[in-house]
Amino acid sequence: MNNVKVDALVIGGGIAGMQAALDLGDQGYQVALVEKEPSIGGKMITLSKVFPTLDCCSCITTPKMSAVAHHPNIQMFTYCEVESVDQQENGFDVSVLQKPRYVNADTCTGCRLCEYACPITVPSSFDRGLGSYRTARVPFSTAVPQIAVLDIENCILCGKCEKVCPVGAIDFTQQPETFSIDTTSIVLATGFELTDLDAKNEYGAGELPNVIDPLMMERFLAPTGPYGRVLRPGDGMEPMTIAYVQCAGSRDETLGIEYCSRTCCMYAIKQSMLISGALPLAEVTIYYMDIRTFGKGYEQFYQNAKAMGVEFVRGKVAKITEDENHNPVVRVERTEEGDVVERTFDLVVLSLGMVAGDPLSKFGLTPAEDGYIKIPSVNASPCETRRPGIFVTGTAGGPMDIVDSIVTASAAASAASAYIRSKTQVGIEEREVAHV
Amino acid sequence: MMAAEKPELSRGELLKKLRAEHAQTVERTQELLKDQKRIQRDICSFIRETPKSVPEIAKEIGLPANQVLWYIASFRKYGIVVEDGMCEDYPLYRKAEEN
Repeated sequence: MNNVKVDALVIGGGIAGMQAALDLGDQGYQVALVEKEPSIGGKMITLSKVFPTLDCCSCITTPKMSAVAHHPNIQMFTYCEVESVDQQENGFDVSVLQKPRYVNADTCTGCRLCEYACPITVPSSFDRGLGSYRTARVPFSTAVPQIAVLDIENCILCGKCEKVCPVGAIDFTQQPETFSIDTTSIVLATGFELTDLDAKNEYGAGELPNVIDPLMMERFLAPTGPYGRVLRPGDGMEPMTIAYVQCAGSRDETLGIEYCSRTCCMYAIKQSMLISGALPLAEVTIYYMDIRTFGKGYEQFYQNAKAMGVEFVRGKVAKITEDENHNPVVRVERTEEGDVVERTFDLVVLSLGMVAGDPLSKFGLTPAEDGYIKIPSVNASPCETRRPGIFVTGTAGGPMDIVDSIVTASAAASAASAYIRSKTQVGIEEREVAHV
Repeated sequence: MMAAEKPELSRGELLKKLRAEHAQTVERTQELLKDQKRIQRDICSFIRETPKSVPEIAKEIGLPANQVLWYIASFRKYGIVVEDGMCEDYPLYRKAEEN
């Protein structure tokens, strides 16, 4: 693979990375976007709807995915991982590993015949392991690019995919390949991970089949979800009583995560409203320490949820066990009533917190105390890292919601643009022409 | 794009060589495939005539209900089973008509 020379490299193809790439591309800069998964879209493409508008996530994300793929100034590199970032005189030399798809990306049409022919079924990471896909597959229906990938670690090399491929795109000879990207600036949009479902023994240590994480519930609520409806994963029952346990992975010294993840109150409220739509007879209870609805329209959203009948109970859940039918039993100290009660539910969602995504060492950056990228001047320059020319956006910099991720993406693109101009003078002529 | 140099091997020879290189993976995955085929046969045989819920299927074939649900979700995705009504709070599933 040939080496690539660009003005800006965006690392991470989630909503923040896509927005930063589009903003820079629209300004005339040459942009490379590197994504570790076989498709761009990030976590947002897996979500059902956004708060507080309840707009469809796919309806927002897929046009941006398509815009990135078709933008004349953006080169997209999926299924690639950044290995190292070396400082050069006027920018960076970034080493990137292209993982083998075992499919020729230039000829694959995304017809999925390989997927239908493949005999092996494996848990789908897109569906948080609750759904499935085949060893040879297009990652999900709206994946960009629509190119199949073959998971060689779960392959018996039967060759059925190869036989049915109408364009001969299956290529078992592919090997990992390294190439370099020469760039003036870098925008880090490496996103977040949830805290582990099994982190707390008192919440079942991940062993209780009907205690799930919020991204699982997002998949249940999405039209493309694994069951096509909301069912509890333990036995396929429609849950009629559902509890949310807030601060299950944040504001918790025992986990070493003392910060508030900022999104959990709102996504729990959003999901409870969507559950009320999907399962009108279901009762939803949210156990919380504080409700933090700080954004535009968020407080009204919270009040709407209360008006719809969602029950909010102030108190800290101490323990979750299960009865003989795998129904979760929640033990909670209700602070307003001053008592301790146990209540049985059909399904419990742990409102897990956010932690930093990719390790920072390969970018030559050190984390702050919270594990996220250290931003030296967070109020004055919230997208600047300690390395000039490397900017941060979205949840790579700290917990934030989709609205803030998009805002910081545009901010990071703007900061990167100013930096590129200072180094290369690119874009000044166009700006002057525009003013004339 | 990826393959720098294509070996001068027939398709059969190439697959044989790759199987040798990935012997452990292939062996493990072949066992997985055997299990999956057996479970698919058991589930589809049980729901061929009458729709059943996940707990009913789990009881019949002796597999935990959460695992049965995973298989049902997979079969539903690939058109092997379809949803066919509800029994109390449980959706019922039956084998899809074969084309």
